Amino acid sequence: MPMFKTPFNGYSVKFSPFYEQRLAVATSQNFGILGNGRIHVIDLSPAGPIAEIAAYDTADGVYDVSWSESHDSLLIAAVADGSVKLYDLSLPPTSNPVRSLAEHTRETHSVDYNAVRRDSFLSSSWDDTIKLWTIDRPTSVRTFKEHAYCVYSAAWNPRHADVFASASGDCTARIWDVREPGSTMILPAHEFEILSCDWSKYDDAVIATSSVDKSIKVWDVRNYRIPVAVLNGHGYAVRKVKFSPHRASLIASCSYDMTVCLWDYMVEDSLIGRYDHHTEFAVGVDMSVLVEGLLASTGWDELVYVWQHGTDPRAP
Amino acid sequence: MANNNSQQSGSSPPPKPWERAGSSSGPAPFKPSAPGSTSDVVEASGTARPGEIVPPNDASTINTNSLGRPVPSRPWVQQNTYGSTYGGYGASLNYNSGYAAGTGAYGSYGGYGASGSYNTGLYGNSMYGGGYGGLYGGGGGMYGGGGMYNNSFGNPMGGYGMGMGGPGGPYGGDQDPNNPFGAPSSPPGFWISLMRVMHGVVTFFGRVAVLIDQNTQAFHMFMSALLQLFDRSGMLYGELARFVFRLLGFRSKRNKIRPSGPNEPQNYIEPPKGAPTGSWDGVWGNNTHN
Repeated sequence: MPMFKTPFNGYSVKFSPFYEQRLAVATSQNFGILGNGRIHVIDLSPAGPIAEIAAYDTADGVYDVSWSESHDSLLIAAVADGSVKLYDLSLPPTSNPVRSLAEHTRETHSVDYNAVRRDSFLSSSWDDTIKLWTIDRPTSVRTFKEHAYCVYSAAWNPRHADVFASASGDCTARIWDVREPGSTMILPAHEFEILSCDWSKYDDAVIATSSVDKSIKVWDVRNYRIPVAVLNGHGYAVRKVKFSPHRASLIASCSYDMTVCLWDYMVEDSLIGRYDHHTEFAVGVDMSVLVEGLLASTGWDELVYVWQHGTDPRAP
Repeated sequence: MANNNSQQSGSSPPPKPWERAGSSSGPAPFKPSAPGSTSDVVEASGTARPGEIVPPNDASTINTNSLGRPVPSRPWVQQNTYGSTYGGYGASLNYNSGYAAGTGAYGSYGGYGASGSYNTGLYGNSMYGGGYGGLYGGGGGMYGGGGMYNNSFGNPMGGYGMGMGGPGGPYGGDQDPNNPFGAPSSPPGFWISLMRVMHGVVTFFGRVAVLIDQNTQAFHMFMSALLQLFDRSGMLYGELARFVFRLLGFRSKRNKIRPSGPNEPQNYIEPPKGAPTGSWDGVWGNNTHN
């Protein structure tokens, strides 16, 4: 599988839920510390290089992207200036972004689109809050403020339209229901900052968290005193964790140790794959919903890799 | 992999793999999903608060840190109690613009910003406390530049303005900075831009700090690599300099030492220089001989 070179440092990569060959990549200049950002939309071709379909520049780094589940051309970006921007690929570049939602007072760090009800999305920010937005409104519907430190990620439950989880630097992960005034559950999941969380796609009560303590923990929210599994093997903080859309116990993760790992949390030797193709921090990983075993990753080495599990990402 | 599975725009994506499978392990502890759109559901639950903007350091934020464990401090947030009280200054455009205008007024306000609370409240919390405090205390403290700062960004950093607000009532009488007639309304371009730069600096260090936060070990690795590089480069320059000197015809120290042979002769020369050291040198030797 070919790779794609971005001018800026990669931050996040996501497969389109509509087209199996399409991906969106969020990048930031100067490691996201200072400078501009760019969102790339790229298409894989069966033979040949990855083609860029569109690219959108922003005045500040882009930390995350999420595809809309209701429109195949709609893309949502978390921008470091605190705004959430909506891009429509079907419109000319001059009319993009179609919307810029500026309510967060600090960097927006993640966005996630509701895959069940398909009309809303979440943004999480360093201002300690999570905001719920709907496609048809110019302002957020409500704000979730309970975390005591940056909220690094928020993820919808893939089976419940109203339930989501958030991971924060205050060392807790929280479960929320948009109909409840406060969080419904607090998981003191790690001793260090929690950088990412994701729900199992096949068991709606299972959640994975990844932390600065180099571990990934899998929890059952019905019994959250002890983790279901603790996955050790990364050498540095684990930046993102992602459950497979195809296999119930398969988890992908990427870390500051520059590797992308695959885990099966149900088996004894849970580490089933390690890819060290990145030469800088690996900060973005995703698994295709449409093609089983297809992985994508990006990192600070300004490269996007797309490969089939079991093959060498660097193989031409 | 062409666009063979392309969907109509606006339609729903292909069904998710997990939608074909049932939920595997018993009932989940969640209320069943409500019908209707997300905004309707949230509004029906009475929790909707459209467009709410949460200022940082918001006192109303429920701190439910159930861990009893201190959370890391943020370099960009001031840990003071003024933030919420005086945050409103930023919103009041008049107040601040009046304040920012006119250089004549600055002198008379010299004292306010210099108050200790300005520095400590603003930046004292973070590990960058020293650096920031100095930086801003000097510039902003002079005339409570915080107000202007707020104005230019209209932003969450409400606490910036408190340097001058703290004492209360210093603006009475003739020196009211809001008085539009009191000062020439020149555009505060320089200071605004300076404050913007300051804002950039704060953002910069905030992001660097979060990155370090997220990965202490990697930062350690980076720093040690950097130090190693400096170390190496020092050696490199030494070698380079020696080479250049040799080319120029200078003889380096190493060449001078070589003709004189090993270091033993120097040791032989040493004892006669100082009798006391010589006598001490003999102490153990004598003992062993005795």
